[in-house]
Amino acid sequence: MKRSTQIGLGAVGIILVASGWSYFGGEDDQLVYTDAASCRADGRMSEAQCEQRFREARTAQARDAKRFPSQSSCETEFGQGRCDTIQVNGTPMWVPALAGIMLARRLAAGGGAAEPLFAPTRQACPPGGTAPECQPARSGTGSSGSGGGYAGRRAYSTTSGGTVTAGTGTTKVSVASRGGFGSTGRGGGYSSGS
Amino acid sequence: MNRLSPRRRGDWQAAVERLGFAFHTIEGDLYWDESVAYSFTLKEIEQDIEAPTGEIEALCLSFVDRALRDDAILTRLAIPPAHWDLLRQSWQRGDRNLYGRLDLAYDGTGPAKLLEYNADTPTALFEAAVVQWDWLEQAMEQRLISPGCDQFNSIHERLIEAFRQLWPTLPPRLHFAADLESAEDRGTVEYLRDCADQAGHETRLLSIEEIGLSTDGRFADGESEVISHLFKLYPWEWLFREAYGSALAGSDCRFVEPPWKAVLLNKGLLAYLWEMEPGHPNLLPTFFETDPAASALGRSHVRKPLYSREGANVSLVVDGEVRDSGGGPYGAEGFVLQDVARMPSFGGRYPVLGSWLVASQPCGLGIREDETPITKDSSRFVPHIIEL
Repeated sequence: MKRSTQIGLGAVGIILVASGWSYFGGEDDQLVYTDAASCRADGRMSEAQCEQRFREARTAQARDAKRFPSQSSCETEFGQGRCDTIQVNGTPMWVPALAGIMLARRLAAGGGAAEPLFAPTRQACPPGGTAPECQPARSGTGSSGSGGGYAGRRAYSTTSGGTVTAGTGTTKVSVASRGGFGSTGRGGGYSSGS
Repeated sequence: MNRLSPRRRGDWQAAVERLGFAFHTIEGDLYWDESVAYSFTLKEIEQDIEAPTGEIEALCLSFVDRALRDDAILTRLAIPPAHWDLLRQSWQRGDRNLYGRLDLAYDGTGPAKLLEYNADTPTALFEAAVVQWDWLEQAMEQRLISPGCDQFNSIHERLIEAFRQLWPTLPPRLHFAADLESAEDRGTVEYLRDCADQAGHETRLLSIEEIGLSTDGRFADGESEVISHLFKLYPWEWLFREAYGSALAGSDCRFVEPPWKAVLLNKGLLAYLWEMEPGHPNLLPTFFETDPAASALGRSHVRKPLYSREGANVSLVVDGEVRDSGGGPYGAEGFVLQDVARMPSFGGRYPVLGSWLVASQPCGLGIREDETPITKDSSRFVPHIIEL
């Protein structure tokens, strides 16, 4: 077949609303980092602070994450390769692997523990689903500008079993002027299309 | 290749409006015309349209590489020297391109001939990717055409995939800027934004005039957020010469289409392609007007400004006489002369085939039909099918 198999329009907004996922986008939002390097690259915290936050998150993971008696039962819920083993009183147990950390932006510089994030559950992101939040992160480093620690919109689960969708890192600047583009289109008789 | 006259869907206006297609009728004239459809064989599509489109694209990309190393070519293309580094950096960095449309003359008998390449701000995208696709599905269901037909059109799927692949990771936000007061431009950019959303991008739409410049030289949107990645449905040659043109290089912004596309949006490209591959079956002899070799065309040719859109300032000259001339504001940068293609005529109508590329891959066809051999913005868009 030489044509598209299906065409969905305006699909994303519907997915977000229908799933009822929380979504951080405001001024006092949450920071999400997938590893210490992306945390450092974002520039809000020092390397030592970033590493400290990830240590806190690992402690919380061992203490608070849902525990499973076997690898397979854990992977049934979180997906293949997305579980870690820990020792609890000498007994091996399985918990979801750390996929990132989350902390309030206003707490980034000072104290405030980081919360561990795990892969989304299969319930939130069914296998084969097309929601962009559920697509696996791609390899590669952050592109230009700010927000190097972010890889688009991504779904995670928390220790309480909730699903969060991490927004993106953007930067506000002081604007000196506006309207420096657009004069040709307004000039009369010109069409930008071709 | 045949011109068919299928019955319109009874509710065709409602059917296309349901898709959000706002400009099926422009100033009282029909623009989307489904009482006409062109049919092709699979062989015609694959051998005569798809393959040459890929071949021409490869030739164009090799020309970009050559032009960016040669100041004389950039000068002849009338690209302002102040922006050469911007073009070169975007090419060396490997900035990916999203889309483009080759306009071809083809009637099913000889090789398709390249009329021009709309490499920077091609339009008639939504009608090609979505409206004619939906028409095909419904027309087969309603038996207006025979069931089991196909269409050369995976544009929609390819666009979403291309948006995923533009950068190694999704940027914080991808802004979309256009002249939002133009219904056509707004429709095009809203469609592309939808594709980007589906690819997982955070997006924001803004008017081109809303763009601001920060104290540290970066572009910003209406909420003073940095524009780090920008899709602009606004031609590069306009951006170059407008007030913020001098800020482009220091803005640390990634653009779609990338700056290197400025080499391809220029009609001078057609003369260089002919120089690179003289006699290529899919190219028309084309020369800069000032080139003595242009005399080879004799007294009949098509005269095109280096920068032109929607057929503006294009003249058809036959035996030294101007037969059909589109008025307009272009031409200050010079002209190319192109051999007159044998424009296929079907029942007094002249179809031009828009062969779409997404991420440099041929993936679809959109046809515009006019009553004159020069396609203007008054032409009608008509769907096509591949017959079994």
